[in-house]
Amino acid sequence: MSAVSVFMSSFGFGLMTAAVLAIATVGFTMQFAVTNVLNLAYGSVMINSAFVAYYFNARGMNAWVTLVFGMVTGAVVSWALNRFVFTPFQRRNLAPITVVIVALGVDLVGTFGLQAIVGGGYVSFRLAPGQEYHILGMFLSGMQLVILAICAVVLGMIHWLLKYTRLGKAMRATSANPNLARNSGVKTQMVISTTWLISGALCGLAGTVFAMNTGVFEATSAQLYIVMLLAAMFLGGPGEPYGAMFGALTIGLATEISAAYISPQYKEVVAFLALLGMLTFRPYGIFGSEKTN
Amino acid sequence: MPAYAFYLATIIVYGAVDAMACLALNVEFGFAGISNFGFIIFQSVGAYVAAVLSMPPAATSNGGFQQYILGWHLAWPLPWIGAAIAGGLLALPFVFLVGKRLRGDFAAVGLLVSAVLLNVLVKDYVPLFNGDAGISIVPAPFQSHWNPQGLTYQFVYGGVAVLLTVVIYYVFRRITESPYGRSLRAMRDNDIVADSLGKSLRSQRTAVLVLGGMVAGLSGAILVGFISLWAPGAWGYAETIVLFAAIILGGAGNHKGAILGAILVPLGFEEITRFLPPLSNPTLVPALEWVAIGLLIILFLWFRPDGILPERRRILSGAQSDAVKLAPAPSGDSTDALIKLGNIDELDFRKLLRLHDIVNDHRVILSTQGLTKSFHGVTVVSDVSIEVNQGRVTGLIGPNGAGKSTTLAMLAGTLTPSGGKIFYDGRDITNVPSHQRAQMGLVRTFQLASEFKKLTVLENLVSAIPDQSGDSFWGALRGKRFWGREDRANIERAMEILGGFGLLHYADTYAGSLSGGQRRLVEIMRAMLAEPKVLLLDEPMAGVHPNLAHKIGDQLTRLAQGGMTILMVEHELSIMDAFCDPVIVLAEGRVLAEGTMAELRSKSEVVEAYLVG
Amino acid sequence: MSVELSQSGQVLTATGLSAGYDGRPIVQDVNIEATPGKVVSIVGPNGSGKSTLLKSLVGVVPVLGGTVSVGAKDITNMTPEKVAALGVGYVPQIDDVFPPLTVKENLEIGGYLLARRDVATRIEAVLEFFPRLKVMLTRKAGKLSGGERKMLAMGRVLMLSPSVLVLDEPTANLAPIVATQLLEEYIRGFADHGSTVLLVEQRAKAALRISDWTCVLGGGRVVLEGAPRDLEQDPVFVESFLGGGTARHQAP
Repeated sequence: MSAVSVFMSSFGFGLMTAAVLAIATVGFTMQFAVTNVLNLAYGSVMINSAFVAYYFNARGMNAWVTLVFGMVTGAVVSWALNRFVFTPFQRRNLAPITVVIVALGVDLVGTFGLQAIVGGGYVSFRLAPGQEYHILGMFLSGMQLVILAICAVVLGMIHWLLKYTRLGKAMRATSANPNLARNSGVKTQMVISTTWLISGALCGLAGTVFAMNTGVFEATSAQLYIVMLLAAMFLGGPGEPYGAMFGALTIGLATEISAAYISPQYKEVVAFLALLGMLTFRPYGIFGSEKTN
Repeated sequence: MPAYAFYLATIIVYGAVDAMACLALNVEFGFAGISNFGFIIFQSVGAYVAAVLSMPPAATSNGGFQQYILGWHLAWPLPWIGAAIAGGLLALPFVFLVGKRLRGDFAAVGLLVSAVLLNVLVKDYVPLFNGDAGISIVPAPFQSHWNPQGLTYQFVYGGVAVLLTVVIYYVFRRITESPYGRSLRAMRDNDIVADSLGKSLRSQRTAVLVLGGMVAGLSGAILVGFISLWAPGAWGYAETIVLFAAIILGGAGNHKGAILGAILVPLGFEEITRFLPPLSNPTLVPALEWVAIGLLIILFLWFRPDGILPERRRILSGAQSDAVKLAPAPSGDSTDALIKLGNIDELDFRKLLRLHDIVNDHRVILSTQGLTKSFHGVTVVSDVSIEVNQGRVTGLIGPNGAGKSTTLAMLAGTLTPSGGKIFYDGRDITNVPSHQRAQMGLVRTFQLASEFKKLTVLENLVSAIPDQSGDSFWGALRGKRFWGREDRANIERAMEILGGFGLLHYADTYAGSLSGGQRRLVEIMRAMLAEPKVLLLDEPMAGVHPNLAHKIGDQLTRLAQGGMTILMVEHELSIMDAFCDPVIVLAEGRVLAEGTMAELRSKSEVVEAYLVG
Repeated sequence: MSVELSQSGQVLTATGLSAGYDGRPIVQDVNIEATPGKVVSIVGPNGSGKSTLLKSLVGVVPVLGGTVSVGAKDITNMTPEKVAALGVGYVPQIDDVFPPLTVKENLEIGGYLLARRDVATRIEAVLEFFPRLKVMLTRKAGKLSGGERKMLAMGRVLMLSPSVLVLDEPTANLAPIVATQLLEEYIRGFADHGSTVLLVEQRAKAALRISDWTCVLGGGRVVLEGAPRDLEQDPVFVESFLGGGTARHQAP
């Protein structure tokens, strides 16, 4: 293959990784924005959602329709996590690290509880990859094009939500200054719950398309995904949905392109290094600056 | 019978290895407040290094079916020593992450990710440690003396492991129960404040991570020498969570708790599952084990967050103090109890705060040139040039948001200026980090509550005293015989001051459980005990009863007469009137005027901006 | 005032109020009544509990004893969002805007409880009042100057046409001219228009000038209160808050 075509085909892979990662990271960062929790159980919610979707798919339902079940699972589970685990812990005014440790505990329960139920075997969606398209030197299957389209639509909707709707503005206001939002009449508890529902739906969707895109998956397949999420989030600045989109695009493309040029085995290394670099030098993101007060 | 004996020996070795790891992680997490989510890699690197140091060169070993580096074929104990060194060295790169003031949870995910990264690298890069398959047939230590298959060998091995654990327990205790340990816990409770009192966060965290890494490395070496194989599958990042579960269960900040946790969680869980009947689904039992560990963490943090054996409260006042015994702590926080000080007028500050060698010459000791600070492009302090004279109480007033606290924070090094210079005693200190400024005698207090919550009031005070021989890693290791007498003297000094402030009965109370006004007093006392040459006070009287505020003001004047320089941000004009000369007025980030209060009152722009509006 | 901005007021009353965090009272046994058409100001040294008092009135700090009411309605320990819905507009001393949101979005959040179709007209009305904000509608609130920011903070509460305004040191960090304008033109104006205004003010003299009644807080209790005219004659008040010699030194 010529240099250009190697680049473009890896660019195509990168685009797929980035699209899935963007949905996941936007959800993850929104949770951080409204509740200041690094929800390290996010990966386990993703894979649980994927398995619920798969459950229906394995019983004959069209894979694309099962996305809805994945999203609902993600939404409900995430909402419940916040309502019954994170919020009660936060009310005790503990150090943020305690809640992170709790999240790790939840992650173990979620991932391995699922494994105890479904067993250790690999499964895959019944989903025809469809015709392969050759676009600008990228090779993308019909399935992948659908995933890309879904991601584009969903990210567009998130943009519309945050920028143009009352709820979205209330979310941003709650994230920026929860007390003032309440003084303005915003029922922040409701806004936070809604945010967890929406971000949870994104988490479920991301988990399901991640499983579809990966091909075969099992209960622990998303365990390391949290690293990609963290890398994308910190790149764009924690709590910043637009930063998350930027971070996901960068990390997605960088990992796949480096896989083509260095070695596919080390593709995550780029994400790791980006994350460590950000944490060390700019923990508030490339565009962010340290918060005053 | 021998089967049980072998089993017992195995349990002893595993228990010792787990206990060592938990002790080490507990020093990092429970005492120093470093959430090392990557702890398992330190144990792991120790195991690998011990393995490859003890194994023959890879090419000659068993027909070369494994690939690995080194292969030095060293005799015991060299591989174990090498493992400890490797664990310690591995800590150094992480100092970049934890050595600064980064949110604890952010640093923790950095470590978590590093653990994942190293696992992936070792798994994929086969020439290093034989990749995913791992290293096997690691030579057993002391096999020249005993047959590794024999029971004697097994118990000797267990004995060595337990002995090392006991040694480590005592070494750790020596460190944590010293003035240095006090500084570590102070850093855990509030790192920014510890920094402002002259504790180097970087050096303390480096020491703890290196020490923890060495012990972790050694524990890995002991394990690999016993089981003779080591592979990436054995040290996923989740193994660290098991150790965290152990410490949370046993009791963070308590060495015995760490050992108890090690016995209950990593050891107990492994062993209990051995006795379960075999199931058709091979992943079920390990999966349920993980679920149980996750649940344990959540439930313990909810129902018993301090663990089974909670951290001990250190009673420093001892039996020496009759006052403590005689006067029961008054109940409630009534304001009345707080408007009286003890015998503060009788305190000899010159002796208590070691002010002897200060020459009171009113020279300019602290000054700024064009000091500027902006956040988000908004300038908060703009081109501020001030001079502070030695042996005076200088006031800094101005409306809220005028940049007073920001200026103070820049003087102390808590904030980095966007522009301008700061001079202290003739030296440009603009780029000197805050803990070094504190060590040079430039000490600040904070406007918001800043006590070390899980240190007693007395510990809060004593922790601030500079130049303690036991307040260094090596000093702590030399033991109580080395620093005990001096510490006793420091404690008595602190108690005298505590008595002067009328808070002696709170000496052994956790500072976090005091009322707001009391905490302010603790902070003022603590700053005094840091023996500053220049004391920067950020609204010290806020929340203190006015009568009391004036009594403290009198003492500040006395301190200044004794040679201490004080720069005080304060709102209340009556305080300024009574105690401060000169007074600097800031408004909108600039110096508006300077002079005595009487002079300032005659300046219409000052009156306009601040006094009457 | 050309525009109908605030509704004519309701009485805001606190009776035997104690409030604080973790069950520890910072404010104790405070009685305050703010009535329509009047400015009631609270002065006192830092740490005397002024901000805590205001916060307990609007539901941000828990009330530990006593009652708070607006009109006939008991609002003790009501959530801040319900208090806002009852027509009490609260402007905190710091963190008074949403920095990452634009000026327009800040106002929209202020009008969160309005019917959707009324928000735009209401923003128009508030902008008539603070015309300086008109040209910076798309600017982020975090980038405003101190005076603009405080105008936005005031504009935000005006979005709901509050009948009671609770203002915590609104002039902090403002240039003297802006501060004077804010107090004498706007805040006094609200009261003259029939609103109830409860104000914490750092500068005692300025507070007296626009107030109908002033309470002095010390150590969490009301230690002195009265009409400004009387307080100006009170030697204790003059000594503690007007800085003793002010009368002598203050020219002209």
